Amino acid sequence: MSAILEVSDISKSYGGIQAVNGASFTLDHPGIYGLIGPNGAGKTTMFDIICGRQVPDAGKVLFHSSRVDGVEPYKLARQGLARTFQECRVLPEETCLDNVLFAAQSKRMTSEMLQVFTRNTKHRRDAEVEARRLLRLINLEQYADQPASDLSYGQRRLLEIVSCFMSKPRILLLDEPASGINPTLLNTLRDFLVELYEETKIVFLIVEHNMEFIMSLASTIIVMHQGRVLMQGAPEQVQADESVIDAYLG
Amino acid sequence: MKLPLSTIVTIVILAFGALAPFIFGGQPYILYVLTLALCYTIPAIGVNILYGYTGLVSLGHMGFAGVGAYTTALLMKDVGLPFVPSLFGGMFAAGFLGFLVGIPCLRLRSHYFIIVTLAVGMILFTLFNNLDGLTGGAEGLPGIPRPGNIEIGSFVLDFRSLTGFYVLTFIIAALIFGLQYILVRSDFGRSLSSLRQDESLAAARGVNVFGHKLAAFVLSTAIAGVGGAMKVLFLRAAAPLSFDMNESINLMMMLILGGAGYLVGPVIGAITFIALPEFLRVAAEMRLIFFGFVLLILARFAPRGICGAAEVAYRKLTNKEANVVRYT
Repeated sequence: MSAILEVSDISKSYGGIQAVNGASFTLDHPGIYGLIGPNGAGKTTMFDIICGRQVPDAGKVLFHSSRVDGVEPYKLARQGLARTFQECRVLPEETCLDNVLFAAQSKRMTSEMLQVFTRNTKHRRDAEVEARRLLRLINLEQYADQPASDLSYGQRRLLEIVSCFMSKPRILLLDEPASGINPTLLNTLRDFLVELYEETKIVFLIVEHNMEFIMSLASTIIVMHQGRVLMQGAPEQVQADESVIDAYLG
Repeated sequence: MKLPLSTIVTIVILAFGALAPFIFGGQPYILYVLTLALCYTIPAIGVNILYGYTGLVSLGHMGFAGVGAYTTALLMKDVGLPFVPSLFGGMFAAGFLGFLVGIPCLRLRSHYFIIVTLAVGMILFTLFNNLDGLTGGAEGLPGIPRPGNIEIGSFVLDFRSLTGFYVLTFIIAALIFGLQYILVRSDFGRSLSSLRQDESLAAARGVNVFGHKLAAFVLSTAIAGVGGAMKVLFLRAAAPLSFDMNESINLMMMLILGGAGYLVGPVIGAITFIALPEFLRVAAEMRLIFFGFVLLILARFAPRGICGAAEVAYRKLTNKEANVVRYT
C-alpha cells in the first residue's frame, strides 16, 4: 500500500539561509502525527511546501502517490488537503455557521454558478445539521449565528479547525493549534481532535511547540532540526532520545 | 413571515422606481435626473460586485463603460442593428476587454492592480478622444438613435420619449440588480466575499483566487458596458469626457456614498450622487460646496455609506442584527 504523504529530500533556501535541507519523512497510515523542532528548524517552511504555499528547490511531495509539490493551494484543498494557519484565520464578517458551511460548499466555479439555478436545499439542510453538530462539539453552537469576529481568539481557533472538517479532508494539517489557547479550551481542543480522529481515521499532521499537548495527542512525532529530520518515532522514544534532548527538549 | 431589512428596502426602491413615471409624469426634469441616475446605477452595480463583494478597486471602470457605449452606438448608428443585439454587443465588448485586461493584471497585488486599472481607463479615454474615424474624437458621436416603439395591443411605449426611455432604463437596471441579488446570494458570491475577507484562507478552502477574481472582473466590466450604452442612448451622443478618469472616480464615490457591499448601495449612491447636486441648484454656485460638505459629513459619520448608517440605526432601533448584507 502506498504512503498517504511522502516527503522526499526536500530542500528550500531563502537567499543564503537554508531553511530545509534534504528533509524526508513518510506518513504511511492514518494517525495523529506531530512535527516538532526548535525555532528555525524548518517546520513552517516544510508545512508551507506540503500545503503548496512554497515551491521546494529540490525534492518531491507525494500525496496518495500523486506528486503535489508546487501545486497551487486551492487545487490541493480540492484533493482533500485541509489546513489551518499559524495566525488564526476565519472569515470575520460571516457567522460561525456560515464559516463552517463555507468549507463544505463546492468551490468549482461551474457548480457554484449552477447552484444559482438549482438550489439544492436538502444538501444545504444536511450540511447545516452537520455544521451545527461540529459547533456543538467545541461548545460554539450558541454562537452559530454570531459573526466570527465576536469570538475570542481561542474560540476562533476552534472555529478554524472545525471548519476544516466540513470539507471532509483526507489529510489535516494544523499549524500550532494550541498557541493562544487557554488551558480550559486546550482540553476541549484535545478532546475534540481525538474524537474527530476516531470518527474520520485520517492523517492529522500537527506542528506544535506545546510539548505537553502534542506528546499527549500524537501517536508519532517527527523532529526537525537545522532543516533536516532528526528522528521519527513514538512520543516516548522521542522524549528519551539523546540527540532530540540535546537539540530541542533540553 | 418576517422580511429582512434588505428585502424591504429593495421592494420599496423597486416600487418607487416603477411608479416614478406616474408620480413625476408632469415633471420631466425629475424624470430626466432619475433616468441619468439609473444609467449610473448600472455600472455602479458592476463596481459593487468587484469592490463591495470581491474587494478589488478599479479606478478605470468608466473606460469599460465607454467601450460598451461606443460599441452599442456604432452598432445601432452605423451597422443599423436593433437595440437588443447592439446592447449585447456592447456588453460583450466591454466584458471581453475586461477579460483581456484581467488576465495579466489580476495576479498583481492590490495597489498595483488599482494603478493598472487607472492606466487602462486613461488609455481608453485617449483612444475615445483620438480615434476620430471610429469614435468621432473629441467631438464625440452624435445622433445615436434610441430604440423604437413597443406595441402591446393598443398600448404603445415609445422609447424615444423621456418616460419611455425611463421605463426601459428602469427595466434594464432592475434586471442587472436581480443578477447582483442572485449572484451575491449564491455559492459564487460567498467565494467572492471570502476573497475580500481573507485571500489565503479562501485558497486554502479551495477557492481558485485568480479564476474567481477574473470572473468577477469580466462580469463587472460587462455590466459597466451596459451602463455606458444606456447613458449614450439616453444622451443620444457619446463623448470621451463621459468616460474619463473623473467619471470613474465619481462611480467609485457613488458606491462608497451608498454603501459598498450592500445590495442597494449602488442604487442609493447613484441616486444621491446624481440627484443631490441637482436639487441643490437653488443654491446656485454654492451647490458644489454644499455637496462637498454633505460628502464630508457622510465620510465622517457614516464611513460605510448611507446603507451602513441605516443598518446601524436599524440595529439601535430594533436592538437586532440587520439583514442588509447577509446573503443567507
